[in-house]
Amino acid sequence: MPGPRASERPRAVRARGPVDQPPRALRVDLRDRALRVGTRSVPLLSGAVHYWRLERSAWRPALESLVRLGLPIVETYVPWGVHETGPGELDFGRRDARKDLGAFLDLAHELGLLAFVRPGPHINAELTFFGLPERIVYDPACQARSPKGSPVYLFFPPVMFPVPSYASARFHQEVGAWFDAVGEIVAPRLWPEGPVALLQVDNEASFYFRDGAYCQDYHPDALAGWHAFLADRYGSVEALNTAHRAAYPAFEGCAAPVRFDAQSPEALTLHLDWAAYHEALIAGALGKMRARMERAGMEGVPFVHNLPLGDGGLPLSVPGLEEVAELVGFDYYHGRREHRTIKRRTLYLAGTARIPYAPELGVGAPPWFTPLAHADSLYCALCALAFGLRGFNLYMLVDRDRWYGAPIDAAGAARPEADAWRVLVGRLVEVGFHRLERRAEVALVVPREYQRLSRATNLLGPISPATVEAIGGTPVDGCRDDDLGFAGPVQTLWFRMLARFADALTDAGIPYVYVDGDADPARLADHRVLITPSYEYASTERWQRVCDAAREGSTLVYGPTMPALDAEMLPHAFEVPRRGRRVLIDTAADAARVVAELAEALELARPFRATPTLLETTVHEDEHGPRVLFVVNAEKHALDGEVALPGPLDFVDAFSGERLSGDTTLRLRVPAQTVRMLLVDAPDAAPTQTPTPTPRAARPRARRTSGGKGGAS
Amino acid sequence: MISPHLRFEGFDARSWTNLLSLFAPGLRDRVEGDPADTDAPEIDLREARSEVAEGTLVIVRADDGRILRALHTTRGRVRDLAYDGPQDLERVARAYAARRALELREGVLDELAETLAQRLERTDDYATQWLVLARIIRELTSSGKIHAWPRPVDDVPIPTSGMVRRALDIVLPDEHALVVVLWEDGAPWTAVALRRRDGAVDLAAGPDLIFRWTGPLGGDWRRDHRVVADAVARAVAPVHVGLFAEASQIRALLRDPDPGAWARAVAVRDIIVHPTPPYVAVALGADAARAVARTTSRWLGGFDALKPLAPFASYVRGRVGEVGSITALLGFDPLRALARSLAERPVRDPQPPAK
Repeated sequence: MPGPRASERPRAVRARGPVDQPPRALRVDLRDRALRVGTRSVPLLSGAVHYWRLERSAWRPALESLVRLGLPIVETYVPWGVHETGPGELDFGRRDARKDLGAFLDLAHELGLLAFVRPGPHINAELTFFGLPERIVYDPACQARSPKGSPVYLFFPPVMFPVPSYASARFHQEVGAWFDAVGEIVAPRLWPEGPVALLQVDNEASFYFRDGAYCQDYHPDALAGWHAFLADRYGSVEALNTAHRAAYPAFEGCAAPVRFDAQSPEALTLHLDWAAYHEALIAGALGKMRARMERAGMEGVPFVHNLPLGDGGLPLSVPGLEEVAELVGFDYYHGRREHRTIKRRTLYLAGTARIPYAPELGVGAPPWFTPLAHADSLYCALCALAFGLRGFNLYMLVDRDRWYGAPIDAAGAARPEADAWRVLVGRLVEVGFHRLERRAEVALVVPREYQRLSRATNLLGPISPATVEAIGGTPVDGCRDDDLGFAGPVQTLWFRMLARFADALTDAGIPYVYVDGDADPARLADHRVLITPSYEYASTERWQRVCDAAREGSTLVYGPTMPALDAEMLPHAFEVPRRGRRVLIDTAADAARVVAELAEALELARPFRATPTLLETTVHEDEHGPRVLFVVNAEKHALDGEVALPGPLDFVDAFSGERLSGDTTLRLRVPAQTVRMLLVDAPDAAPTQTPTPTPRAARPRARRTSGGKGGAS
Repeated sequence: MISPHLRFEGFDARSWTNLLSLFAPGLRDRVEGDPADTDAPEIDLREARSEVAEGTLVIVRADDGRILRALHTTRGRVRDLAYDGPQDLERVARAYAARRALELREGVLDELAETLAQRLERTDDYATQWLVLARIIRELTSSGKIHAWPRPVDDVPIPTSGMVRRALDIVLPDEHALVVVLWEDGAPWTAVALRRRDGAVDLAAGPDLIFRWTGPLGGDWRRDHRVVADAVARAVAPVHVGLFAEASQIRALLRDPDPGAWARAVAVRDIIVHPTPPYVAVALGADAARAVARTTSRWLGGFDALKPLAPFASYVRGRVGEVGSITALLGFDPLRALARSLAERPVRDPQPPAK
């Protein structure tokens, strides 16, 4: 049954619901996707400066360059391993002036900047031992353990090292002492006494990139946590035994699985529980660390956490982490050829995260990543903004050891590349980009229960699904192909189905986002169409959420199977969704057919559709209508195209200043692998989403200084 | 050999990519390749026929021989793979347009990680750690848990870290620097200065730093090389060896299996080695000099190239006893091994990455 007609639809641009609110009272908080600092609303735009890696004399010029770029916030890590000069001995500038964190923050304050401080304990930052003291990583009590009890090594240069255990009580104790020391410097400098307005707990918490399901953690404290997790999940040993088809005498009798050996659905529960425990372990550890930071006086401002590349395969979800930190985002280090990855990740944040935000948006790169040029960084930023990113931290803004490509050199002088960032930041602030909305009527709902199965069935051991995705594959590339007693390999099929729909929606010019299956139900209510894979088993909670949304008016596309087993592989009477459409998607053509049917039946909007369809457009609007139009060309050759307009509109290219206009069609050229950011001129008079053409004569002519009809560049 | 305190600075995207691409010719393909046309790529035999060979075909098999997964690293999942076992690797690699093919026994990568963790010592540096890893891979290959095609360096013995350290003592002694500057069309293409201190390489400085140390150069690299070497000596450490050349020359030499190729290039000043430490002199020894003579004689219409090289050859003979041969120390000739490894990748016209 079709949903409401276009004219009856509520506008997608509306006040944000409760999911936009931080969970507790803060002296600085997040509102309208920006920092609310006193009466000021500050966009989440910052740049990374590593004070300890610069000469003290370079601090002021570096920060002044940052100010000149228009960035209101400076971000820095605080490296435990650098400040610790001996067990229990910390140098915050007494011996080495470059380590004077307090002086650095005071200087930022003096220059009118806010500060985003990230004290780890894990910081990576291309530091040896990822910024941890050597004594910590080689303390056996702190080390994560493999199934055979060995340390778990991370392969990164310049030296492989055993990674810490997120469960280790000793590690948390040491971290607490570190936070106490940092707190002495940072707490007195929290806003308004000082510049600190954002804090981050830990960094890219993905088990230090050794996140394969059976890589770790078999540390005694982790195994105790496993049993506590089972007790919490099942309540009784009887319930656990029913789910695991086992006869454990106690929770402690359930040994953690050390490799995937399930051959049937019934045998999967143990492995799915283990994968779920990984998620709980990380989230619990971050919660503990945050509480410890707060005990050390670092509180009252929003907390941030960043997820690394390969998020599609990580043992973490944004909704799960948003229970620990107010602001959870993705790190972006992508070349131009990774257009689809940038788009997919951003659409996930746009559909799922409280604020679509990049705690690290790579400007340049470390030497051991695939090389990134300036054009890559700029493309990545613009492409992410096009698909809904609302704030970012330019990492690294100022050059340093083990990095190349920063727009400001280590002496604080701006390089030629800085100019593009200055223009971009200026335009984002000018249009209030963080407040704009991109309308998406369709949501692809990501099923976490199948994602867990993908993690468990990865065949590449330490090359985890997240790692495979981070190096250019998909999170299911390494999964086994056996059906495990289902009609097909669920662990790979779910991803393929979502990908087919993503391709089909893109081809049809229909905007969509990804909503995590664990996300707040309010996220689902934003969309008229929900598409979610379903197989023989499903999470009862997720299924209920999508059925609830269908009851409220959304059309639910699911399939190929109506689930009959819950996540413990026990029979369950799943609700048959209202407005449901069960589909079998095997090929791209199947998805295209379903999308075409949905588009026709529901009159789905295809705003600012471009031809050729190789050009992608996104439009960002406020209550007055469109404000920014992005035209994206991911191809390796320039494209001349046309964009259908809802009415006469004038645009200004954000970078070149070129003026473009059209009545019903905008004609333009987009160079190879480029994103054109077009600001709608005269926004107050711009037509709203409803295509009611406004006579050009009705708008002030004086704003148009040039640009004939369809001014192609 | 590689310091945990290694400093890396002074590169930009172009110079760093250029340097890496000398030894990893597939890098540019990765950086500049076409964007994917789907989020979930797949390939079958029919589609593969029209593709250019790239990436690796990975096949994971169970102990009972079942194929658990087949994957092309750049083209995604492989549908309907027909595969008869390790002897079939070359055929399937070619059929699916892959440069390489790997068969992995289920669980072998976990075994590799576990064995590595058991063997690593806290005092191991990164180079030593990789030698340990390489040895484990070789063991797993010997035991039939990993099969690969092709195997260009299969007969190259894996040296111990002691052997590598002794070789490094010759190439780059402690408290000395090594500098390489490559030009293209008269402009610097990439450069690196390495310093060894306390037994380990602790600095990799790129062109931004090197040319800050030198100040403005004259523009003729055959003259400028002395200025560069002197500047690095002042800023970093005495230069033990410097290599200066056009980038195209080095790309070709790295692929040339002829042991006389480097000597020939030095003799005709296609590359300049300055200063020339004893080990380089030895490496450019009498056999190589004869190779020079053969070729230059041909080029120069019978001119006897051995004659002008006589003082050089005499110098070499005098120093042979002073230094060990790197080949003897390592058990293989690293340049020849590299040439064989790179030979499968044709030299591409360099395309500098877009700014």
